[in-house]
Amino acid sequence: MNEVGTSLFRSRVTALDGPDKVTGAARFTFDVILRGMLHAKVLRSPHPHARIVAINTSRAEALPGVVAVVTGADAIKLPDPYYGVAIRDQPVLAIDRARYIGDMIAAVAAVDEETAYRALALIDVRYDLLLPVTTIEEALADGAPLLFDAPAAGAPIKLGDGVTSLKEPRPNVLCEFGYAKGDADAVLAKSDHIFEDRFRFSRINHFHLEPYVNVARVTGEQIELWSCNQDPFVLRGDISRIFGRPANNIRINASYIGGGFGGKSFCKMEPLLVLLAMKAGRPVRLCLSLDEGLLTLTKHAGILTLKTGVTKDGRLTARRSEVQLDGGAYSDASALTVVKTGYRITGPYRWDAVATRAYAVRTNTVPAGSFRGFGGTQASFASESQIDMIARRLGIDPYDFRRKNLLAVGEPFQPGDSAVDSDLGGGLDEIVERLGYRQHRRSAAQGHKARGMGLSIGIKDGGGTANHAQALVKVLPSGRAIVNAAAVEIGQGATTALSRIAAETLKLPLDCVRYGAIDTDHTPLDNGTHASCGTAVTGTAVMRAATDACGQILEFAAEQLGCRADELQLDNWTVRRGNHAHPLEPMIVEHFGGAGFEFIGRGMVKVPNDPRAPLGAASLFWMPSWVGAEVEVDRETGKVRVLQLVVGADSGRSVNSVACRGQVEGAVLQALGQSLFEELRYQGGEPVNATPLDYRVPHAADLPDHYEAVIFEYGGPGPFGAKGIGEAGMLGVASAIANAIHDAVGVRLTEIPFTPERVLAAIEASS
Amino acid sequence: MTADIDITVTINRRTYRLNVPPNRIFADLLREDLLLTGCKIGCDQAVCGACTVLVDGLPVTACTTFAFELDGTAVTTIEGLSEEGMLHPIQRTFLEHSAFQCGFCTPGMILSVKALLEHYSDPDETTIRQWLDANICRCTGYQMIIEAVRAAAKAVAE
Repeated sequence: MNEVGTSLFRSRVTALDGPDKVTGAARFTFDVILRGMLHAKVLRSPHPHARIVAINTSRAEALPGVVAVVTGADAIKLPDPYYGVAIRDQPVLAIDRARYIGDMIAAVAAVDEETAYRALALIDVRYDLLLPVTTIEEALADGAPLLFDAPAAGAPIKLGDGVTSLKEPRPNVLCEFGYAKGDADAVLAKSDHIFEDRFRFSRINHFHLEPYVNVARVTGEQIELWSCNQDPFVLRGDISRIFGRPANNIRINASYIGGGFGGKSFCKMEPLLVLLAMKAGRPVRLCLSLDEGLLTLTKHAGILTLKTGVTKDGRLTARRSEVQLDGGAYSDASALTVVKTGYRITGPYRWDAVATRAYAVRTNTVPAGSFRGFGGTQASFASESQIDMIARRLGIDPYDFRRKNLLAVGEPFQPGDSAVDSDLGGGLDEIVERLGYRQHRRSAAQGHKARGMGLSIGIKDGGGTANHAQALVKVLPSGRAIVNAAAVEIGQGATTALSRIAAETLKLPLDCVRYGAIDTDHTPLDNGTHASCGTAVTGTAVMRAATDACGQILEFAAEQLGCRADELQLDNWTVRRGNHAHPLEPMIVEHFGGAGFEFIGRGMVKVPNDPRAPLGAASLFWMPSWVGAEVEVDRETGKVRVLQLVVGADSGRSVNSVACRGQVEGAVLQALGQSLFEELRYQGGEPVNATPLDYRVPHAADLPDHYEAVIFEYGGPGPFGAKGIGEAGMLGVASAIANAIHDAVGVRLTEIPFTPERVLAAIEASS
Repeated sequence: MTADIDITVTINRRTYRLNVPPNRIFADLLREDLLLTGCKIGCDQAVCGACTVLVDGLPVTACTTFAFELDGTAVTTIEGLSEEGMLHPIQRTFLEHSAFQCGFCTPGMILSVKALLEHYSDPDETTIRQWLDANICRCTGYQMIIEAVRAAAKAVAE
């Protein structure tokens, strides 16, 4: 490991949001109360696919305590009633058709939630049932029922030269991404071996504990939201477009957010709430239940088919991939997820040729969208499983096979993209060492239980493509500072990381810096906390803002002291000139009088657009995860117990090492749950476990016996060498466990989760 | 609906005489009437544990408890854990071990740990994992919470 840290960054910090969070003082969006606030509830479709023939709300409207009811008839009157990332096909409320069980049909604002619930039961909806398509195969079948009769608004995602990006290319296909390097078919034809394997990825929900919650108030021309959305500025743009009001009349306020993992990104039920608040003429709060959350967004299920060529001595040659993602009923962020899944399907390896086709299929199920890892999880499950399968087929140790084909530091991920900036081989070696891979693998079976080890290296581009951010740092006369940036605190540690970057730059103690409240009227623009960009992207804007403030402070002091600014140094709110220290506060008070003065530094960052890069911009950094797993498989029951899970990730350089560890451990446990048991299951068009009681997420008792996060510091492009780490732990876990199961009992699981039923069936099929 | 019910309940060492509707949920009473918003409601069906409060020292999910059921009891919420501005040792170790991320589960988690340490002054790993099974944390992966619990056990014992 690279131990380059200074004493400041080596020191353990107490999270700045910690005191609020351990005392119950932290104010979440969930806690927002406005005077005269009403409560909303949403009527949802009980059918996976149906035409809405008529809605009668008169009995609901007549119920005492009900203030407003809205339906698709209200939504259709909006200037632009649709939303979605790039492709806008989701109506604010179902307009003529319900497209999944849980689709939003009508909503009520009433004096309390109980009355709103009672009113929902009084709304009569007449449906004409339509045939649903509930799987990728059904949706793509000839003559399959269509979810949409006409093309949606919007455009395909803009990408680099020579990369295919299509909107709605075929019936029930939302979008398609195509990437090619060289002539994959020709290279495959010349390869000594070709292996084709297919993998199935499951659907999971974010299950953030703070439900989706928003409060809306419409006064005159102004629309205000107190929102749990992690993208206040993106949301401002959507509300502006949907309601036809200029964006400077829309104000989005953010508080602490109680978890998201991608679920709280992009526009969802917020415009519906604004519509309701407009009609009610009063502030309205809409807090979804966790059951409704399960019917709001999922991670993409998918089918990934990989055809991979390799030479007889174990060198990878070419890969042709077909990635099919189940986008559910509406676009949400599928168009972006498809691009990222397709692009990452080649993993951290060197190829002569690549051909990738990835697309999202529309089905009558919950919309799929952002989830920590953003397609990287799906891609690395398929890719790293197949790499292991090929190694075992060729009789090569999976470690050696990986080591032989890994991209080296400095090699571009693909032509035109940035170079890999983590030591992929070095990281793997460290994990292999800590796991004890060389000493213990293929340990003898003990009775009906067998042990095995598996490795995996996940990788994704990080920081968001061509991302940008702005920030302000305000320094008060007392040497206290406020950081204004719109990376909302959702648990990722933005508060502490960004404050620490400002403190270090301003040479102030960390406890002199506060992360300011976020609202779109006052806080500089940010694209939202996505793609592990907070530290590297927003952090760069913060560092530049703090540097700008430092310059202003030194200029001011130089003027007061009658010297040049470059003769001065800032240190703990004094300026040093040679051996003399001059406290700043009296200087500022003396000069300005009154309420004093604030030095306001501005900073921004823009990752350059570059059409030569496949995605339209070179990746800011690379986010690998190295995983080593040891499992014990019970041949009689099919139960898999994870004995060891050792996961490495690269923070570039940790601005807050404890928080980095926490990010990796948290992501790993989410990935472990999805690997072993967690899944939102469907029978036909019906979700069968969409309640918190039936939908099982990992608990403390599910922890592996030994569970270790290793943070590498290989350097990155962010402040002080930092890069993002938040999604890394998600990437390689499922494949490492599949590989360990194979090692233990000689059977290959190509579909997650690896439930006892599936493992047992695979063992029985093989014997 | 039947008439409102008179109850006497001690919350965070202060005694309240309240007149509550029979269907008043205790979590709502805490949050809306007493502004003790540290009690969070996640699942609203006694699965996630975010709304955990201590009733006579035992963890209870406030989201599925009627206010009238608490007549004659003593309740501790997260707001009652620190005394005179001093953090309780469990709060302190959670802070020191960064045993939280988004923080939504944290008040309920800390109160569960308080009950745990009152039952087991020196809990082993299995006991901690089993006890924390009542509280879901979707962010941290639990490991740092468990470390904080071990440190808290030491701190409480001292």
